[in-house]
Amino acid sequence: MEFSQIAERISLKIKQKGQNVDTKKIESKLRRLVEEFGVQPAEAERSVTNELAREYNLQGISSSVGGGVLGSKEDRSIADIAPGEWVTIEGKIVAILSPMSPSIAQSGIIADSTGAIRFVAWVKANAPQMEEGTWYRIESGVVDEFRGVPSLKIHSGTSIKTIEENRALIPTTVKISELKPGIGSVRAKVVQEWETTHERMLQSGILGDESGILKFVIWREAGKEKLSVGAVYTIFYALVDEFNGKLSLNLSSATYMQDEGDMIVSGGDVDVRGAIVHIAPGSGIIKRCPVEGCNRALSRQNYCPVHEIQPKFVYDLRIKGWLDDGEKTHNILLQRDVVESLTGMNLDAAKELAENNPLGMDEVFLRMRDILLGRYVICHGREIDNRLLVKACERVKMDTSDHTALLNRAGGA
Amino acid sequence: MSNGGMPFQGRREGGFEREPARRVFASELRECRYQFREGDDDKSPTFVLLPTGERCNRVFLVGTLTEKQKQGEQNIFYRGRVVDPTGTFFVMAGSYQPEAMQQLAKIETPAFVAVVGKPNLYQTQDGAFLISVRVESITVVDRETRDLWVLDTAKATLDRIDVFAIGTSTDVARVKEHYPTLDPLIFRKTVYEALAQIKI
Repeated sequence: MEFSQIAERISLKIKQKGQNVDTKKIESKLRRLVEEFGVQPAEAERSVTNELAREYNLQGISSSVGGGVLGSKEDRSIADIAPGEWVTIEGKIVAILSPMSPSIAQSGIIADSTGAIRFVAWVKANAPQMEEGTWYRIESGVVDEFRGVPSLKIHSGTSIKTIEENRALIPTTVKISELKPGIGSVRAKVVQEWETTHERMLQSGILGDESGILKFVIWREAGKEKLSVGAVYTIFYALVDEFNGKLSLNLSSATYMQDEGDMIVSGGDVDVRGAIVHIAPGSGIIKRCPVEGCNRALSRQNYCPVHEIQPKFVYDLRIKGWLDDGEKTHNILLQRDVVESLTGMNLDAAKELAENNPLGMDEVFLRMRDILLGRYVICHGREIDNRLLVKACERVKMDTSDHTALLNRAGGA
Repeated sequence: MSNGGMPFQGRREGGFEREPARRVFASELRECRYQFREGDDDKSPTFVLLPTGERCNRVFLVGTLTEKQKQGEQNIFYRGRVVDPTGTFFVMAGSYQPEAMQQLAKIETPAFVAVVGKPNLYQTQDGAFLISVRVESITVVDRETRDLWVLDTAKATLDRIDVFAIGTSTDVARVKEHYPTLDPLIFRKTVYEALAQIKI
């Protein structure tokens, strides 16, 4: 924190009005506000300036911060700005987001031809509301960083001017592997769709391009549409978040259009051979919510976390468990068709058991466990976030050539 | 039971990795003399040190359950003997593993069984070491699964011996410290004999 620079700036303003103040005193006031009271530096600057203005009875002193001293009037490209800087940029508002806190008046994304950044306008800044699709010149904003994501703070010292001309702005997309926390535009294919885990969630799943894959989420908001699985989209200005070192894409801010054609997605399928060492609860026959687009697994009492009691549930089969090759354990998820071919029990047979056996659905779980647990299998599928989504799975068969090779290896000492 | 299948649901296991189940023959497991814990946390896993130079928190074994016995008055538990081509594993399941205990109680001996469990090292009053496997699950399997396990375990053991020969891993260093008189090469012979017992 450069208190001395801010103090210098304030003392300069006071001097211009013919008064002399002790810069050290200003600095200690600032330091106290920021360090002891946790006031934002910009707010501290404003407050100290106003205090001094009152003390010396000065009129027309601007509490606006940033001006000149740090060279923040110089226009910068969005792609070049870094946390900790005071900046002036010209950009177009490409998205308005709902504010996360009552102390935020407006938040969204501003972009120029070089890149895009999130912005936040504090309520206290009293800044004019900006409109999506309009170009603005923002002078003396402060760039800071939250959870690794840079954002432009609009405070009371920031000035915002509307730019009347409508400049062309074509965002450039990057490869998924090149995304960084912040804002990103990509062209990617919808690889997979997941069960939504929250009622505010419209859709979540996996996007991929030739460089990699990542998960995406779209929150339920007016005008937002789901992506279709298997289709390719150009996505502009999505929020790139980081959690546990993994990036994900939030499309709530984004504009997306379906593209023609197909693309090859990397992170291809893997084969894992090992023993099934655990079958998790929730495997076997399960009931799913029948509400269209929901499909959540219901509790034993037919309760859906979103749609409550659903007596007209739909039965499904799945296996969740751990596949272990002796070196690494893979969390596996087998869908109905894979379960049927691996266990030899189809959905109808499982339903019959569940409805007529005294143990009900548990009987299906126990039978499947007895068929699968401790068995060697090869699972073929895609591994995402340590979970292997299995497309095909078969029992390993004894291979005499393996036996011979091992005998030779052991005997060749 | 309904939520675990959804990716990214609530409880995120940040950095959690399930310990793999090692493949080890009875004659090697029997030689373990050293047990250690990684980290100071209550929940940090404990490992027994395999003589071929690898830590082991969990094992997967397949063999013949030849005997089982119910023990204890109030705290009932089951002991069992599972035999592989090289020796005997001692397994046990108590009331803290009710499901495993019920599974074990149900099995008629003799039977081929697959066991997933955690090895524990004990020292008796006369100084002898005992290692038993606390069962997480036990299921009846067929001979083919047993044969596959022998192949799998043979390969894993030979791989460990190869790594030991290079001698750079920390667990290999541990073996040299704690089992100074033991030569892992003897387990190559064990592997050969185990493989030779399989009739194709």
